Amino acid sequence: MNLARDIIDKQVVDKNQAKMGKVDGVVLALHGGKPPVVSYIEIGGITLARRVGRRTERFIRLLKKRWGSPRAQQPYRVAWRQVRDIGVDIEIALDVRETPVNDWQNWLRDKVIRRIPGS
Amino acid sequence: MDKLLEVSLGIVTSVGGYLEIGSIATSAQAGAAFGFQLLWALVLGTLCIIVLVEMSGRFAAVSHHTISDAMRERFGFNFFLLPLTVTVLLNLMVLSAEIGGVALAGEFATGIGHQWWAVPVGIVVWLLLWKGTFGLIEKGVALLGLVTLVFVVAAVKLGPDWKDLLRSAVPSLPQQDSARYWFLAASILGATISPYLFLFYSSGAIEDHWNESYLWANRAIAGIGMTFGGVISASTLVLAALVMPPSGIRDVNDYHQLPLLLTKVFGFWGLVLFIASLAIACLGAALEIALQQAYLVAQGFGWNWGKDLMPEAAPAFSLVYTLSVIIAVVPMVLGVDPLNLTVFSMALTAASLPLTILPFIFLMNDKRFVKQHTNGRLGNIAIMAIIALGFVLAIATIPLEILSGG
Repeated sequence: MNLARDIIDKQVVDKNQAKMGKVDGVVLALHGGKPPVVSYIEIGGITLARRVGRRTERFIRLLKKRWGSPRAQQPYRVAWRQVRDIGVDIEIALDVRETPVNDWQNWLRDKVIRRIPGS
Repeated sequence: MDKLLEVSLGIVTSVGGYLEIGSIATSAQAGAAFGFQLLWALVLGTLCIIVLVEMSGRFAAVSHHTISDAMRERFGFNFFLLPLTVTVLLNLMVLSAEIGGVALAGEFATGIGHQWWAVPVGIVVWLLLWKGTFGLIEKGVALLGLVTLVFVVAAVKLGPDWKDLLRSAVPSLPQQDSARYWFLAASILGATISPYLFLFYSSGAIEDHWNESYLWANRAIAGIGMTFGGVISASTLVLAALVMPPSGIRDVNDYHQLPLLLTKVFGFWGLVLFIASLAIACLGAALEIALQQAYLVAQGFGWNWGKDLMPEAAPAFSLVYTLSVIIAVVPMVLGVDPLNLTVFSMALTAASLPLTILPFIFLMNDKRFVKQHTNGRLGNIAIMAIIALGFVLAIATIPLEILSGG
């Protein structure tokens, strides 16, 4: 397996096949002199923005600080052992509703969309 | 569903949804200014879009990825940002032009200026998407879109010189106005090879759960649907060539001249048919582009997406098309000329094609995505040659066109 090719930027789905973003980063752990192992995948705007550039990262962090939910201040990490399947998508053994990944979309739904007549 | 029925529906959708403000405007200008001479650009463009749409369906059926999804995954997000940004901006311009097209139909029908129509048209487009019913009305709009076949009827009725037509399928050098000629060639290529068209098609194939058993159906839909579509565009060019110059029009620079395409042949009913064609064709295209915009962004970031999803199920996806429609309405309200905006954005599209199509060609040759169904060498070379031509022509002539105030 090739991390950059097969993992990074792949679609992530939860255990019910609900789309929950993409793999924005991976966290490697070093143990002694052994080769690094993948311990987490990261999902979230901060990790993604960091890959684009420092300034973009600062900008996204500022946005999150101002409007983001408290638990969305850090990128969301999924332990590698929760990864159930790597196919067309990367399936994890969690329910997206238990994660902060969609907090901002939930906010959008509750505060904006439900207030627009006809929805 | 019975596959044969699905294929027929697919073909109807492609034919009925083919014509839009871009192909009408560029074909009309080319025909009025250069007779049949620019027909070759339409032929090349149509060949290219047939191949691209086939590739797009094959890619989705075999890899179960949409193109945007795969592009991000294969080339990484940072690279993907480039085609994403460019396509999003171009989609906004073209969406604005299509809303302008429906608004023009409103003006032709009532005499009330098109600026006044922009907001109501935007609201209709948004409501149809917001109610989550696009999947249902898509086929309906496409069926109504078959009214655009009236362009073919009119062209045949005028009896063009078929030998002359055939000769124009081969590229030739212009006798005068070279800059205008090559600019129009680029615009025609940009209007025919619409990125939103084949990107949209791959999302549809995923939503309809295509697999490898759909490959022949895909080939039939792409081949027959896009060929018929090309014939409608070609008929528009033929009509313009036969109708405009005798009325003293060599330069179609005023949108009021457009209905002439059909009124010369069918009189009053020609006007009615033109208004209906323009309204339906542009409304269908506006819906597709707004939706494609939302597909592109949602797929790019891994959000939930789907044309039949209610806004509550896909908040971010709905936000993208909502904002897109709002932004696209603005230039029309401010009185930007729909015809100028259209032709200009078609040339820009031609210039942008390598950004979306080259990565796509790479994907079509990657066995990890398309297994043994990779592209043939001929397909690869033909597509790259045609988009290279569009790119060079657009880059070379857009500055001249701006300088001359066209």
